[in-house]
Amino acid sequence: MSRPPRTAALPADPAALWRGLDDDDPVGPLWRAAQIFRLVSFLYALGFMVAVNGDLDHPAAAWILFAVLVVANIWWTTGYLSGFGRRWWFVATEVVVSGAMMLSTEFVASSEWITNNQTWPTTLWMTNAALSAALLGGAWWGLVGAVALSLTNYYVKGEIVTNFGRNATAILLIASSMAVGMAASRARLMHSRLTSAIQLAAQSAERERLAREVHDGVLQVLALIARRGREIGGPTAELAALAAEQERVLRHLISDTPVVDDTADRDLGPALRLLADDRIQVSAPGEPVLLDATVVAEILAAVGNILDNVERHAGPDARTFVLLEDLDDEVVVSIRDDGVGIEPGRLAQASAEGRMGIARSIIGRVEDLGGRARLESAPGAGTEWELTVPVDTRKANP
Amino acid sequence: MTDAPLRVMVVDDHPIWREGVARDLAEEGFDVVATADGATSAAARAAAVKPDVVLMDMQMPDGSGAVATAGVLQAHPGARVLVLSASDERDDVLEAIKAGALGYLVKSAQRSELVAAVRATGDGQAVFTPGLAGLVLGEYRRIARSPDPDTPTLTTRETEVLRHVAKGLSSRQIATRLEISPRTVENHVGAALRKLQLGNRVELARYAIEHGLDAEG
Repeated sequence: MSRPPRTAALPADPAALWRGLDDDDPVGPLWRAAQIFRLVSFLYALGFMVAVNGDLDHPAAAWILFAVLVVANIWWTTGYLSGFGRRWWFVATEVVVSGAMMLSTEFVASSEWITNNQTWPTTLWMTNAALSAALLGGAWWGLVGAVALSLTNYYVKGEIVTNFGRNATAILLIASSMAVGMAASRARLMHSRLTSAIQLAAQSAERERLAREVHDGVLQVLALIARRGREIGGPTAELAALAAEQERVLRHLISDTPVVDDTADRDLGPALRLLADDRIQVSAPGEPVLLDATVVAEILAAVGNILDNVERHAGPDARTFVLLEDLDDEVVVSIRDDGVGIEPGRLAQASAEGRMGIARSIIGRVEDLGGRARLESAPGAGTEWELTVPVDTRKANP
Repeated sequence: MTDAPLRVMVVDDHPIWREGVARDLAEEGFDVVATADGATSAAARAAAVKPDVVLMDMQMPDGSGAVATAGVLQAHPGARVLVLSASDERDDVLEAIKAGALGYLVKSAQRSELVAAVRATGDGQAVFTPGLAGLVLGEYRRIARSPDPDTPTLTTRETEVLRHVAKGLSSRQIATRLEISPRTVENHVGAALRKLQLGNRVELARYAIEHGLDAEG
């Protein structure tokens, strides 16, 4: 995470210099704005200093303290603008020094002067410390800084001001600090949200790019190998089958992006498509067929049982076709194979011998969902299951 | 075949695949008059060489197969487009069909299937896979849910035929089951596709009128 070092040459244009201070900190612009306030409040304090200096008990000491404060402010401004000062000890130093300067009023001025004036060297200038705390720590730390400065102010003045109509300094200090703190927190929150949104977008863009690459390259070649290999036959056909299998796996990998608006719902179409392979073809609508996830699981289990049965009984060359239809109030899943089929009467015979386990479990599953399962078969014509499941509970179509 | 060989154009951005298919077809006696590697070049070459059949890939860098199909048919309305898809681009396939493609075949199909499909497309027959039948059935049911009364619908017979196609039955098997001729089966399938294309055209025209676009172009 290294940033390129800033160029040594300073831009001649002051506006460009100001813009050049921009950094990765979401609160950076607020820090910079605060330093403009610091400059303005300094000019105000300077004017105040010039105006009241003659009335102070120790004008020379006041000027020395003022000079110290100017140097400190330049240091703080540098720290906040360049970023190295945006840390707790730096801000704490500013708050403490500002408080100490306010306390020094008792030394540089008489108690009579203090009663009739604000604390030296003006509350406005010292507000910067509370704003720094707010920018660093948010509204509550801004409040802490503002309260600390207000209490110092009261201590120096020797009274707790309750008549805010006459002196609203504390309210102003607290309100502005908290407002600035809230703005800073909000800027950080928005920044983190934006960052994660950008990351998400970048991730999905990258996934899409990969999918496109795989699709345009590897998949095409695998499909070609599978096709050519099957034509050549023999051992090459086995390689072709491997290529076809990998093509299928890879295709699922890049196309398997489940899109559901609710975690409780699942799209039956893609779930069925996952069953497809060289000998199982799945047809489904392009639109999502959203059902309760448990219903989808039950349907998949029933279809899985049927496919197992085909594998076991239909013969080595049998191909299976799965069709999903969405009839709004019910979904129909048909599973047809072109295998050897079942002799008439054999089903009844098997049933009588208690060997109907699998068929019974299939029918039972579907009936538990409130649906019905039908099996048709003829010798040489394969078998065909039709599972019909009502969908009263699913989401209305948009 | 006594007539002149079918003039075929192969559109695919993948060179190995494109050349492989072109070679296969040439060996089978087709006249491969052009190949193209994208939607734009496909339209330009179709206008120039006027192929009978266009084999169309679904994903190309400069546009989908649907866009390319529309472009080719605009450049050369006499072309018959057969979509060759890797199989899973479901919405794309439907869009290509709506744009006027006559049929659809998966790329994993065997050479004999490909040859038969190109011949059938040249004859103006719809080439259907079970997957496409499932998609088309779903599409008719989707548009039936729309409140628009003018949407195309399937007849009971057409639905029945499409369901059989989706379950992997051949035209001959379907004909036997329904006690009709295989040719009638193919007509039903073709009608199902044409109505979808027509519905798409009506939709586009209505859109153009509603948005004040010029009808030509």
